[in-house]
Amino acid sequence: MISALDISTSALVAQRTRLTAIANNIANVSTTRNEQGEIEAYQPRHVIFQTDERTSGSLGAAGVQVSSVEIEDVEPRWRYQPGHVDANDEGWVAYPAVDLMTEFTDALEATRAYEANVGVIEVTKDLAQQTLRILA
Amino acid sequence: MLNSLFSSTTIPVLEQVVNFSQARHQVLAGNIANLDTPGYRTRDLSPDVFSAQLKKVLADQQRASSLPGPGASASGSSGWTQARLSEVSQGLETLVRHDEVNVGVEQQVTELAKNQMQHNLALSIMTSQFRLLQAAVSERA
Repeated sequence: MISALDISTSALVAQRTRLTAIANNIANVSTTRNEQGEIEAYQPRHVIFQTDERTSGSLGAAGVQVSSVEIEDVEPRWRYQPGHVDANDEGWVAYPAVDLMTEFTDALEATRAYEANVGVIEVTKDLAQQTLRILA
Repeated sequence: MLNSLFSSTTIPVLEQVVNFSQARHQVLAGNIANLDTPGYRTRDLSPDVFSAQLKKVLADQQRASSLPGPGASASGSSGWTQARLSEVSQGLETLVRHDEVNVGVEQQVTELAKNQMQHNLALSIMTSQFRLLQAAVSERA
């Protein structure tokens, strides 16, 4: 019974990590420099999930965990801005290839998955509570 | 003595139903947790196989208790009941199946709700049976 809570919690953590990566991508939608201040367009991050048998119950139920955070290697969006300080010799500026439409759709999906797992936690709590009512 | 007290009611059967629905709840929670895991196949414990096994065990038990005389069966059948019912719970370990198709979140949530109702129904009946026993023990009307 309690391991059902662990399973749902593992999904909450994983989906929140995914949402953090999405927020990271959207926040850096026009970042043209890296952490060292060098001219390099931000590369979007993506979270990869994997089934986690360690948080599993006895009967084949399994939780989920973040397997890795992948940094995409994509061609930046080039914009012609000759007056920009980060422009190259031809006057082009490299902007991150973050697609806002994709990011918002992903954010929505992560939010719904999070809500679904909160719903399961509510049901788990109800089952446990009903079981304890036998004692009353 | 307590064993024969409980086996005169349906409490042992209801206990198996509650155990099954709690185990199934875990598996369904795992399915919803892995909604976005690539390559994950949904898992389930079949309630049909469970109810079929439970029905079979109850039929066997009923047949056995009708055979011997009333005096002999009183002590003998209660231990036997325990053994047979524990067979059902061992059978649960092999009921895990890996589906070829991946079903959606709607189906999983529906199964979860159905499972919850079955669990709470069994517990309600169990509670009222305990209340009856309590009334009998304390000689209250």
